[in-house]
Amino acid sequence: MPRRISRNSLLSRTSRRRFLQGSAAALAGVGLANCQRTIGEAGGTGETASTDAASDSTQASGTLHIYTWADYTDDELAAQFTEATGIDVKVDVYDSNETMLAKMQAGGGADYSLIYPSDYMVTEMIDLEMLTELDKSRLVGLDKIREKWKSPVYDPDNSHSVPYSWGTTGLLYNSELLTTPPTDWDYLWDNSDVLSRKMTMLDDVRETMGAVLSSLGYSYNATDPAELEAAYQKLLELKPDLASFKSFGWQDELLSGDLLLSMVYSVEGIPVSLENPTFKYVIPESGSSVWTDTMVIPTSAPNVDAAYEWINFNLQPKVSQETVERLFFATPNGEAMTMLSKELLENENLFPPEDLLAKCEGIAPVGEANALYDEYWTKVTSA
Amino acid sequence: MPQGMDKGIKPAVALGRTLNLANVLKMLKASIRPLGLLGPAGVWLLLLMVLPTLLITELSFVPGLRPGEAIEGYGLLNYLRILEPTYLQVLRRSATFATGTTLLCLLLGFPVAYWLALMAPKRWRNLLLVLFILPLWTSSLLRTYAWITLLRPSGVINLALGALGLPTQSLMNTHWAVYIGMTYSFLPYMVLILYASLERLDLRLLEAAADLGANPRTTFWRVTVPQTLPGIAAGCLLVFVTSLGDFVVPTLLGGPSSMTISRLIYNQFLGVARNWGFGSALSMVLILMVSLAIALLLKYGDRNPEIYS
Repeated sequence: MPRRISRNSLLSRTSRRRFLQGSAAALAGVGLANCQRTIGEAGGTGETASTDAASDSTQASGTLHIYTWADYTDDELAAQFTEATGIDVKVDVYDSNETMLAKMQAGGGADYSLIYPSDYMVTEMIDLEMLTELDKSRLVGLDKIREKWKSPVYDPDNSHSVPYSWGTTGLLYNSELLTTPPTDWDYLWDNSDVLSRKMTMLDDVRETMGAVLSSLGYSYNATDPAELEAAYQKLLELKPDLASFKSFGWQDELLSGDLLLSMVYSVEGIPVSLENPTFKYVIPESGSSVWTDTMVIPTSAPNVDAAYEWINFNLQPKVSQETVERLFFATPNGEAMTMLSKELLENENLFPPEDLLAKCEGIAPVGEANALYDEYWTKVTSA
Repeated sequence: MPQGMDKGIKPAVALGRTLNLANVLKMLKASIRPLGLLGPAGVWLLLLMVLPTLLITELSFVPGLRPGEAIEGYGLLNYLRILEPTYLQVLRRSATFATGTTLLCLLLGFPVAYWLALMAPKRWRNLLLVLFILPLWTSSLLRTYAWITLLRPSGVINLALGALGLPTQSLMNTHWAVYIGMTYSFLPYMVLILYASLERLDLRLLEAAADLGANPRTTFWRVTVPQTLPGIAAGCLLVFVTSLGDFVVPTLLGGPSSMTISRLIYNQFLGVARNWGFGSALSMVLILMVSLAIALLLKYGDRNPEIYS
């Protein structure tokens, strides 16, 4: 009799085989499920939208469920609000306007009484009739908003939105390792040999294509196919020297010297430059994008009263000033600005001078040209 | 069938009998147990897999569907658009990544599984298996970030290479990094399935081959591999399917040229395009590719049914 076979009784061979088959199947199932989950996670870095249980929205001032960007609220702000009004705050986060819009349209946003769309998204949501018109009589402190935001292009007269924060997109670079500092977008093309595989651009179609369009002298919101084609060709030229398109996760590589330059949002770039003077944030001279994030009340909001309370709370200059000092976004609240520390007020990255600000464009919806932008983006990232 | 054997009567057999009330009731009664056991899974499959797939199929035939819009007309435009070079390129890239990962997993996984199943000390087998499977218990996102830490120009691998005086690597943000990341992620599946297949290999066949004068290499290629072909096919299928739809690794480890089909679908639904019709069509194509792979498995996977007995 062969040695190996006689050692195992038939029963133990069969059950072990079955166990392995079963566990292989189970693990495969778990693994495949894991892949499903990581799709959602990867879309939102580590700050994914948590799937909280539905807020209890039946009481008038019970709970306020807000859907916002990760950098805009922290525990302290929520705690201050609860202390002042007695309303509990639940926060879910998203990392892109499109994700938020998709969730709201698919019906998953029925719990939220307050959301934070960016400028162009406000226009779209107004067109889609998803926002309630604000009752100005219930809002306190709107007069303190700076002139530029009193009747912005995306929402004339702030009929549906209240501006909350604004910022720019710029270049964050390592001033020790780069001998000549960048001043404009063309720096990337001119110095592509030095920067080869050590620079990143944002993984955002409108921002990156917009930056290239701006470097060619066109508008961030170009719809002319010829202009877009030119921008596409120029980006294609730069691509071999790009490390990758990254909207998040560039910090470690920039700080360790693997990257010399990153295209970043001001909200993330300025804190790095304030903490570590080696890294400097610069807004390109030919103009960058300026974005405004707003507070809006969706038509499906369950707790409108609490939403108004939250807006009023954030319009208070003191609250606005404290939040800016903690979270580093620029505020459109004129009175809050006067209360800021001199250091922050004079920070030209946080509050760029008027002439530079005038050259920065807001990203607006481009309608049909969206398909063209997407096609060029697919071409760039798959070539 | 004999009259007295009601227990476990199959509905198919009952149909051969006369269709009177008693027989129909017997048929129903016999079906209750199987249906009861299959019911929950069947309902779950129907609601959460079949219906959404049908919905996506419908949406894929609506050209230029924007979310929240009413469906106005049907057409094949979405599918025709996939035939454009830009999008074929993306499909090709996904298929290349998936095929490459499958081959790498097979080449790396087979020796490991062979050693585990046939040569490792018996006492340690289960422990070694568990150790191999352990990475699956962590999030694949975390594992990918770990690879970033390893592969970065100033990462751990380069630090080690530099300390030894060897030239450093610059694999980060290239296609090689994607292959490394994906192979690492899916190797445990391949090893597990190959192990299960190799474990039931009948060693008497190997001895018989040796007795008949075959050297180890001939024995391997002409006895071991054909015997484990179902396991190989199953493992390859699993790795191929999961790596075809992988989102995380190409996005984080790949460079600026690593658009895959899953990322493209994501862009259609949640990106600036918001073309749900096109996204649905791409999803259907992905499902088609997976179905093709499964069809190949069914063809090659059932080679020798007798080894299952």
